[in-house]
Amino acid sequence: MCKDSSRRFVFRKSPLVMKATSLFRSASVRRSLPFAVATVIAVCFSSAGFAQQHLSKRYQTGKNVRIELRNISGTIVVESWNKDEIRLSATMESPNAHIVPKQMDESLIVDVMNDNRGRGDVGDVNFKLQVPVSSSVDLETRRGQISVSNIRGASVRAHVSTEGDIELTNITAGQVVAQNTIGNIFFDGEFSTGGTYEFKSTKGDITIRIPGNSAFRLVAASPARKIALGEFWNNGFRTQDGRRYVGDVGDGRSSVSVTNFSGQITFLRK
Amino acid sequence: MNCEKCQELIHDLLDGTLSRADEFTLNTHLDECLDCQSVRQDLSAIVGFCRSHRGEYETPPNAQALWLRIRNVVEAEAATVKVKAKAPRKSFLADLFGRSWELSLPQLASFAVAIMLLVSIVTVVGIRRFGNNPPTEQPQQQASNINERVFQRQQVINYWKQRVELNKARWSPEMRDTFDRNLQVIDAAVTQSLNELNRNPHDDISEQMLNESLNDKLALLKEFSDL
Repeated sequence: MCKDSSRRFVFRKSPLVMKATSLFRSASVRRSLPFAVATVIAVCFSSAGFAQQHLSKRYQTGKNVRIELRNISGTIVVESWNKDEIRLSATMESPNAHIVPKQMDESLIVDVMNDNRGRGDVGDVNFKLQVPVSSSVDLETRRGQISVSNIRGASVRAHVSTEGDIELTNITAGQVVAQNTIGNIFFDGEFSTGGTYEFKSTKGDITIRIPGNSAFRLVAASPARKIALGEFWNNGFRTQDGRRYVGDVGDGRSSVSVTNFSGQITFLRK
Repeated sequence: MNCEKCQELIHDLLDGTLSRADEFTLNTHLDECLDCQSVRQDLSAIVGFCRSHRGEYETPPNAQALWLRIRNVVEAEAATVKVKAKAPRKSFLADLFGRSWELSLPQLASFAVAIMLLVSIVTVVGIRRFGNNPPTEQPQQQASNINERVFQRQQVINYWKQRVELNKARWSPEMRDTFDRNLQVIDAAVTQSLNELNRNPHDDISEQMLNESLNDKLALLKEFSDL
């Protein structure tokens, strides 16, 4: 504030403010103002209608449950918890999306593809599933990431038809299949005796992190010659000019197949 | 018991009309002869299939009359052939055509098995002949075989591609982009494998990669065809 009261201040309006004031004073604008407000309210309500939908359900199961999930687009996260029940949470991008999970005996089937046939594009549906530790999971999506952690069931299958990373953490299963076209695959777990493990990507890195005492027969192929067996390499491995490695680690009690067209294959020790 | 006799008796065995003594002799032979065992399994499967599907196919209103008409036509044609041949005595062929062919189901089945065996033998002989080609011609031959195989797979792929194209307009732009991008990646893998195989037709890694890439492409198209 100015202490000198005799001094006169002249406040000059900015051109923008002046324009706005003159506009508000004009009769046509004043007439159309209620419509503008109504439009804004309508837009607000309609956007609320288009907001994401949520679905959350619980299913009582036994310990050895099988979960089959066929998604079209969106992420899938599966993790275990210490309860004999499944908790399914889904976030649907589109209000058209429709999900009808089916529980049959000891299995839960969610088929977004089937449930939305003829409904057009249903956008992303993101899933989070909490399942018993010894569950078997079979997950598919046309597009999107798949993440599975802390599962000790009979089998884990993660299939992304196009692009999306696959992350399998702390997995102990007799059968593991992970496949995508574009995207990385990360497996962190153990190979069970007599188990089969298949990892396949066309364009992406495949990283396998297993204990040092793992025993398996490996067939690893990469035309790009990017295969790093690290501590698991031994003199018994046969190779064809670095594009394919075939050999046993330990007594080769489980079978591991890794195929990567243009990315890196890496074996890490836990 | 020899294989020929054994295979004649298998039909009766399956029909359950064999005497105990013959059945014992036949089973003794079957325990020792893998070929005859295989024939029995095949026949058993065919007869089993026919029995389990009995009644599923519509029969004509008067099957007996229809069969008699067919037989008359066949016999009439055979008679015409005999006249045209102007041969005073029956030739082997005329005898063959003139015969009434009333085959039981096991006989029909064994005839089918014989045809399958014949085709298998011809295939094996064909493959061996390819294997005995001079080494200078082998790479070209193999390359053309690969191209031919790829061409055949491509026909199937094209069918599914057309189906995908029909549905593509319904997808979101993001989904279309994703699909196209991934198809390009797989196509690049196919092309790279093919180029490598054209350079070195014996390269089994490239062949494996080519097969897997083509399988992936087909799987991708199939999955997106009903989207």
